[in-house]
Amino acid sequence: MRAPFGLRLERRLVTPAWLPFAVPVGSIVAALVITGAILAVTGVDPFPAYRRLFDRGYVGDGALSSMLVTATPLIFTGLAAAAAFRMRIFNIGAEGQLYVGAIAAAWAGLALGDSGTAVAIAAMAVAGIAAGVLWAGIPGLLRAYTGTSELITSLMLNYIGGLLLTYLIFDSRSYWRDTTSPNGRIFPTGKTLSDATNWPTFTTLLAPAIVLVVVALALAISLGRRAWIARRSGAGADRRRRSRIAAILGLVVFVLSVVLMNLTPAQSVVFPFGFWIGLAAALAVWVLYRDTRFGYEVRVVGDSPAAARYAGMRTKRKIVAVMCLSGGLAALGGASQVGDFSHVLDARGLQQVALGYTGIVVAALARFNPIAVPVVALVLGGLINAGYALQGADFPSGMVGILEGALLLCTLAGEVLGHYRLRAGRGATDETAAEATAEVSAADVVLGQA
Amino acid sequence: MNHSIIVVTAASALFYGTPLLYAALGELLAERSGVLNLGVEGMMLVGAVTGFWTVQKMPGPGTPVLLVALLVAALAAAAMALIHAFLVITLRANQTVSGLALTIFAGATGLSTYLGSQGKLGGQPAHHAFRALDVFGLADVPILGPILFHQNALVYASWVLVAIVSWYLFRTRPGLELRAVGESPDAADAVGINVTRARYVHTLLGGALAGIGGAFFSLALSPSWLAGMTAGAGWIAIALVIFAFWRPALTLVGAYFFGALSSLGFNLQSRGVHLPPELFAALPYALTIVVLVAVSTGWTKRRLGAPAALGIPYVREER
Amino acid sequence: MSAEGTPALALRGIVKRFPGVLANDRVDLEVDPGEVHALLGENGAGKSTIANVITGLYRPDAGEMRMHGRRVEFHSPRDALEAGIFMVHQHFRLVPAFTAAENVVLGFAPGRERRVRLDRGAIEREVAEVAERYGLGVDPGARAWQLSVGEQQRVEILKALYRDARVLILDEPTAVLTPQESDGLFAALRRMTGEGKTVIFVTHKLNEVMAVADRATVLRAGRSLGTVRTADTSPAELAQLMVGREVLFERREREGPVGDDIVLALDGVGAEGDRGVPALHDVSLTVRAGEIVGVAGVAGNGQRELAEVIAGTRPRTAGTVAVGGRELPSGDSRAPITAGLGHVPEDRMHTGLAPSLSIAENLALRSYRRPPMERASFLRRSRIREHAEEVIAQSDIRAPGPNTPARLLSGGNAQKVILARELAGSPTALVVAAPTRGLDVGATESVRALLATVAREGAGVLLISEDLDELLMLADRIAVMYAGRIVGELDANATDKGQLGLLMAGAVA
Repeated sequence: MRAPFGLRLERRLVTPAWLPFAVPVGSIVAALVITGAILAVTGVDPFPAYRRLFDRGYVGDGALSSMLVTATPLIFTGLAAAAAFRMRIFNIGAEGQLYVGAIAAAWAGLALGDSGTAVAIAAMAVAGIAAGVLWAGIPGLLRAYTGTSELITSLMLNYIGGLLLTYLIFDSRSYWRDTTSPNGRIFPTGKTLSDATNWPTFTTLLAPAIVLVVVALALAISLGRRAWIARRSGAGADRRRRSRIAAILGLVVFVLSVVLMNLTPAQSVVFPFGFWIGLAAALAVWVLYRDTRFGYEVRVVGDSPAAARYAGMRTKRKIVAVMCLSGGLAALGGASQVGDFSHVLDARGLQQVALGYTGIVVAALARFNPIAVPVVALVLGGLINAGYALQGADFPSGMVGILEGALLLCTLAGEVLGHYRLRAGRGATDETAAEATAEVSAADVVLGQA
Repeated sequence: MNHSIIVVTAASALFYGTPLLYAALGELLAERSGVLNLGVEGMMLVGAVTGFWTVQKMPGPGTPVLLVALLVAALAAAAMALIHAFLVITLRANQTVSGLALTIFAGATGLSTYLGSQGKLGGQPAHHAFRALDVFGLADVPILGPILFHQNALVYASWVLVAIVSWYLFRTRPGLELRAVGESPDAADAVGINVTRARYVHTLLGGALAGIGGAFFSLALSPSWLAGMTAGAGWIAIALVIFAFWRPALTLVGAYFFGALSSLGFNLQSRGVHLPPELFAALPYALTIVVLVAVSTGWTKRRLGAPAALGIPYVREER
Repeated sequence: MSAEGTPALALRGIVKRFPGVLANDRVDLEVDPGEVHALLGENGAGKSTIANVITGLYRPDAGEMRMHGRRVEFHSPRDALEAGIFMVHQHFRLVPAFTAAENVVLGFAPGRERRVRLDRGAIEREVAEVAERYGLGVDPGARAWQLSVGEQQRVEILKALYRDARVLILDEPTAVLTPQESDGLFAALRRMTGEGKTVIFVTHKLNEVMAVADRATVLRAGRSLGTVRTADTSPAELAQLMVGREVLFERREREGPVGDDIVLALDGVGAEGDRGVPALHDVSLTVRAGEIVGVAGVAGNGQRELAEVIAGTRPRTAGTVAVGGRELPSGDSRAPITAGLGHVPEDRMHTGLAPSLSIAENLALRSYRRPPMERASFLRRSRIREHAEEVIAQSDIRAPGPNTPARLLSGGNAQKVILARELAGSPTALVVAAPTRGLDVGATESVRALLATVAREGAGVLLISEDLDELLMLADRIAVMYAGRIVGELDANATDKGQLGLLMAGAVA
């Protein structure tokens, strides 16, 4: 029969151990090839373009600092998406939640400008989170109590949030708008926050390297222990192999970080305060979902609402709570934008960069695992940065978006192909009873492969 | 009095509403088959840039060039839809993530902008554009003239399209089969309807119409190319499908209503009425939320709600 | 029946393998034109597999299929439809939002001139005509979701008749029908065979085979054991063929008198069904410690709602429910757990279990709120895992390990996981719905034995089942539900299937 209709999926009997590594690596390679092909077809030599992208994004002067600037908000919006999608709550409203977070944080910063940095930081973060919680609570409540798809409502609220932002700075004489300075009278801009409210930065390479070493050590020890326990308790060979691979990886990270620590940095790297909060938030979300009662309940509700009700869980409250958690995380990203970087409610700048939508890319590439979100955010942050920096200057504009989109599309395809084989030809499909021993990952649940 | 605010608003409602109408009709067809495509914005932009590129590069008289440009826009956007279709229908990938990926890949940050800059299309006026026609010489008739008889050919074609889609959906057997695929694919499969094919066909049709909607921007609305020129129209089109309860005739009404809102704020302001334009711009989104809540439960959900299988990949039940 | 001797449908040596399972092992089947042919067998005997082979959903690994002597090979359900084979599935394949007539004509357009246009008036007239000819009364303009289950089934059969199918396969068609509706169905089937159509009737109910079928082919453990004329056989003979041994309905031995403690009490309970119409009326029931009370009834007469109301997943509109003397709030699914109620739901895989979560996590579904599984809002994962390892060993659950996702469990093992969890806290009362549906013989026996043990150890069991043999075997008393009411409560030792059947049909005693 006709080609695309004759393809069908067959579930793999056993999820191979190399799969969790093969999917991301394969997706990156495939996305690079696809983007390169598009460039080549349209008469651009892809190799210099890639070299410049890599250079500007990851290794050039100041690349790491700029990478952190872009990565910081992406950690928050990525976590927001991961936290919600994990429960099959499709909150694509991180964009709007980030806006209202920025609005509230700017308000708090303007109001409390003189009361000391610590107070101001706390107030800005709390105000931002509160605004995000309320904003995300709308689709959350509607989903829980009227069954309205949170997908569309949260999307619509993005635009309403964006218009609110525009209104506050461009079409009103709001509290946020600068109406006194000479510049502000001509060009609509926001009031600049006082220096006391600026979030601190850390300029060093040593501190993060130490952190990395500690984390890598902990990882290696815990995974090694798990591998040992697994062998002792006679668990499946597959599981043992995976634990061993993971333990080796942990060791490799450890060695690498020691090397990194001993390299004297040619340049200092600026770590924004928000980056550390983001790391802490990632860890907190990871622990929350993995180890707490709440996280367990969320996973049950996400997997089977009927089973959750049966087990006596308050499913509606869980939906609202997850939505609020997700909105709070995204809004914290908005607060960090104001506190760490712009120090002003930048209505245009916030709407130009689509941090909220990119957060979904980050989460998907991280396979909805909170602990992987910061890593992906850094990688994507470098890429996006390079895209901005190279704009104009005979660099193909739009290339970064193509690469980013292709990466996400390939990852999606890779997730599926990891679990299934694609077979051509029609005929009766014999779905096979899988006897896989692999554990179900977050990505499997979200993307419906579980 | 001839150009009172009502006439101006109504005329521009038709004008601004038409690209929304094309894109929303396309999305409606895809959603009726059970496929949610959030990549409308990206597909529209690809349609806009490829349509404009054709007009700039192709020699010849205006009408055939414009028709070819529309065809190119439709095909290019359908090719984008094919990516989504393959991922969500054949690979059964998550429709939300795939649609967003498509918008990033093709949209303002991606392929459309790339093509625009590679073709050096920015800042040029279009060689040809869809101009308003004077239908039956009635353009000067008071009130109705500027509204109904002084529009371009794409506006009139969209009316025919609404009629065709409406007839197809509710008065034909293939339309019945399409709705069955979106409502209950297992029931459709059981009587021999090819669910996969129906979903591919309508997702691609949806892409083609989004491409024409995008081309309306670069060939009629403001005949030029500007990166990201659809400015969120694709997302409004998605909202519009919900707002219109997945019905073509109501899509037309909704498109003109949304079109009117987008111009009303500025029209009022130019006449000294100072209401924030953001208020009008936000109304389509707010109203869509209200409508969506209204059709979420009970009787309204059954009669007016989304196709029951929307967003759900179809797997034939085996064992 | 056919004088010429060419069967309408002939299967020879059909083999169908699934990984680890030989579902059909050289099955032979010959069906004559104009007969009602029963395909008889227990759950898991391979009936559904063979039906799916006939309708093109599965491709056999070996064997051949002939229609009227000509060899056929189906690659998809569409091929089978075109060959004139239509199957009415147990779960109807209707589009809820469509009218009955639209459902009937969907995917089939007789005649070239009508391939495109859809004339609602015309199709409704046509469908009404066909419906009348076969006595399958249904309003062609009514939406499918508004129809009763019996009417929905009639729409399914009308689909087959409208496209003039030569072979109609019905999969367990009477499971959702009252005896009266079943009689109506049988009459319609007779009319169809009278016109030369062929009906294949998949069932495990002997009395239906005797009532409606001309011949029956018996399947056991994937093999066909031969075809008999119903006129030349008896139910006992068929039963023996079907299960391979003398069927003895051994009653559970009651050990001593039951206690006086009422562990589960329902008084005047009312509730609404999924469509918002009343599904339970004034239901009163009591279960004492050490007692098994059965609830019998045709599916869809309020049994599911009854179980959900007790478990608190469905709010009640009237009356009270008490577990161990503690009255439960309406629509609260946590209170029954704290009050000591165990619940084995009808829908194992999506209500009883969270399919993507591991066995270990599923085993903690009821106990995760309290120590030792939790400490200060944190779960103790090692404890949960150890507990799971113990349970897997004790309950003989066949699974690679405690981290295996529940969805990979077979029906019997899934039920073992649920039972192990529900019995772990030594419940005072246990509500069990369709506990052995779809399980093989061995698993069925062990589940039944376990329920008897539970009662012996002093819990009160409410056993909701459509399987009368199971109820007669296990229960002390049997309450019969009809149209959302308890229409009778009988001593299980002093009743029989005939009396129960009358009550289930609404013939109030």
